[in-house]
Amino acid sequence: MVFLTLPCWIRSRGPDRYWKVQELLKHARHFRGRKNRCYSLAVRAVRRAFVYATKARKLKKRNMRTLWISRIAAATREHGMKYPALMDNLTKSSVQLNRRVISDLAITEPRSFLSLAKLARARQQEGFRAALGDGSEPPGVFSRVVMLQ
Amino acid sequence: MSSFSRSAQQWATFARSWFIIDARMQPPGKIATMCSVRLQGKHKPIYHALSDCGDHVVVINTKHIAFSGNKWEQKVYSSHTGYPGGFKQVTAAQLHQKDPKAIVKIAVYGMLPKNLHRRTMMQRLHIFPEDELPDDIRANLTEELPQPREIPKKLSDYTQEEIDAFPRLWTPPEDYRMK
Repeated sequence: MVFLTLPCWIRSRGPDRYWKVQELLKHARHFRGRKNRCYSLAVRAVRRAFVYATKARKLKKRNMRTLWISRIAAATREHGMKYPALMDNLTKSSVQLNRRVISDLAITEPRSFLSLAKLARARQQEGFRAALGDGSEPPGVFSRVVMLQ
Repeated sequence: MSSFSRSAQQWATFARSWFIIDARMQPPGKIATMCSVRLQGKHKPIYHALSDCGDHVVVINTKHIAFSGNKWEQKVYSSHTGYPGGFKQVTAAQLHQKDPKAIVKIAVYGMLPKNLHRRTMMQRLHIFPEDELPDDIRANLTEELPQPREIPKKLSDYTQEEIDAFPRLWTPPEDYRMK
């Protein structure tokens, strides 16, 4: 007697399950516990990690901006001004530096930052003179805004 | 600064300074904000929450702290011992009587960020009720911070010449009786 149905029971699945599993486990190698070894647990953990990474790309932009702002605020307070005054007067003097650049200047180029702070303070004083005076004085040098065509 | 070498400049940027604040006749809240800013390192342009850039702060004369208004009688510090019926409420005056360092300590503790760094930052805060400092702390001090509140002069602090030179609206007659 020959068993003819036995060969039908042997199914050959795909040949490269090992590499597909390794591709997923490589993203889980730094996890804690069995999540870094066992595929079923790792699948869930890796999916969660990717979801967190996707959401964090928006949060990173927010966090970086708050960090820049707190660094600029610390640096301006060293020069006797406050952050809102600095940014307000820099935009009024049409200095279009963003917060990332200004915070980098505050760290690595302290004298350039000091010159920015003095510029902002001069523009602030001109603003006070314009507000408190009666308009007979000419506007200050920094209050002149150039409109480019 | 241009005379320092680059490595010396960097060493000075990342060094941990020791600040001293005199709390005589100052409101403890204002002292606490100054302390918390420097303990976190938020006064430095290189600040980052993870980079351990806080400095040491020494507060002296906390026994002579000055609350404004009626806060000595009205401000209440509450705590619970954990046992039933153990809810304790003390006024600021009673707490100051028991421990002159506690008011500033609790104020700074509440102003620091509520994470695990808070305890290390509190360890870098040194509070002394009077003027005396240990010699090793005194040797470490680098900068004195200005007081936040201008102390008003008492009448007994003015010299007689200044009192006489002050303009008078009217001079009372000899038989005038002050209340």
